[in-house]
Amino acid sequence: MKRIEEQTYYEILEVAPDATSREIQQAYEHAKETFQNDSVAIYSLFSEKEMKKIQEVIEEAYRVLTEETLRKNYDQTHLSSLNLKWPKSEKLPETPESPMEKKTYLPFSEISIELGEGPYRGKMLKQIRERMGMDLKTISMETRIPVKILEVIEEETVERLPARVYLKGFLKGYAQCLGLDPNKVIEDYLHSLEPAKKK
Amino acid sequence: MKDREMGQPTNVNRKMIWTIGGGKGGSGKSFLAANMGICLSQLGLKVILIDADLGGANLHTFLGVPPPTFSLSDFIQKRVSHLEEVLIPTSVPNLQLLSGAQDLLNAADTKSVQKRKILRSIQHLESDYILVDLGGGNALNTLDFFLISDGGILVVTPEPTSIENTYRFLKSAFYRRLRGAVSSSSAKILIDGAMDRKNELGIQNPSDLIEAMNRISEEEAKRVVAEVEGFHPNLILNQVRTKKDIEVGFSIRSACKKYFGIHLHYLGYVVYDQDVGNSIRKRKPLVLENPRSKAAQCVAEIASKLANKHPMAIRFQGEER
Repeated sequence: MKRIEEQTYYEILEVAPDATSREIQQAYEHAKETFQNDSVAIYSLFSEKEMKKIQEVIEEAYRVLTEETLRKNYDQTHLSSLNLKWPKSEKLPETPESPMEKKTYLPFSEISIELGEGPYRGKMLKQIRERMGMDLKTISMETRIPVKILEVIEEETVERLPARVYLKGFLKGYAQCLGLDPNKVIEDYLHSLEPAKKK
Repeated sequence: MKDREMGQPTNVNRKMIWTIGGGKGGSGKSFLAANMGICLSQLGLKVILIDADLGGANLHTFLGVPPPTFSLSDFIQKRVSHLEEVLIPTSVPNLQLLSGAQDLLNAADTKSVQKRKILRSIQHLESDYILVDLGGGNALNTLDFFLISDGGILVVTPEPTSIENTYRFLKSAFYRRLRGAVSSSSAKILIDGAMDRKNELGIQNPSDLIEAMNRISEEEAKRVVAEVEGFHPNLILNQVRTKKDIEVGFSIRSACKKYFGIHLHYLGYVVYDQDVGNSIRKRKPLVLENPRSKAAQCVAEIASKLANKHPMAIRFQGEER
């Protein structure tokens, strides 16, 4: 583990070295909120001195990483010597294991625009996945949803779908993995099941 | 019945033991243990709930079963010959309860040999999942159980009191883990010192400790760093009322990264829901009594994540077992 002063600005803000300015902005807002003096999440953990240091370095990281020239210079002096801990397009080690940790979507959201806004049914999810060149095994590893369940979801095999509450969790994980809006996917998918279930 | 000799690797690899601890009384550990256990069993997984809450064992009440007459002590005192015999059935298929409070965690006198023996017996119980409700204390045995399980879950509510106690628990568990990894007495003394913020060495946080450890022995310092990196506790935020409350979970994760250097895994949150109180008063588990309630759906979602960590064991609803 590294001391605060040894961490790169990317580590301070918990973003990848190839983070977009939007990601940096979001990460900064999260860090600022987390480490403000009256934040409940850090209550009793840090001393006043530690807090002050963290707050300062968050501001400095944000200042440097949001200014193109400063960031370029910073990258040259800091990242090359660190062997680029997170090579481009690879996710952060912090990358969530669970679907709910939505902070780091895979950068696929443009595809959802390309394919329109749903309605997301099994077939549609399959199409989007195939267009991304991802097989079910990869999705399964990414989301920890068993391949069998993904298949059932894509094929809409109604009688083999897991119970509604679990299905929602799986759909959320799958949607996030594809970079789609989980709520929209869940809504569309469950909606599409309604008439089939009544039959 | 199968022969269950010690050390026999019957299905041990498939089984996962999760412990639920930390925080303070009333943060929802027993509620979550009982209801997650039911959700997992509804997925077709065989689940055993262990009540190890020293101060306030009442997992049975959450499940709507009478106070257990058998407990782990009947097994330890050799009043029964197999641990299976003290398992208490519940109204939920696939779900059994084991009352173990006094024996598991009581007692400064639970020797580590005995602890390991109990643990091994538990590991050999036939099940896919074992959920242990540790209660809120910071006793050494509680910490040990939390640390040796496959996954330790902290249950926190977004209030300063709960968060303070959770960090206290996490610090104790963290340093205990490090202490177990070093071998020299000087390294152990250093870690003991680090737990007291007013220590003479000026060690204020884990980074300071590693630096100080490096001065004693590089080898020991390396071991400590490896332990830090391998420590991945889990977090469930309970009784959230606002979107901002949900964010507190992410903030706790960031704070743990900065302070301890550990990756805390935010498993999920459960919304504040009056149906929870109602179900407890009725002594009927929420996910059975009111599965459509918001809180029940949150619990089910978290349970499905736990099930996903055990892909071998997942079965479809309606599929034959």
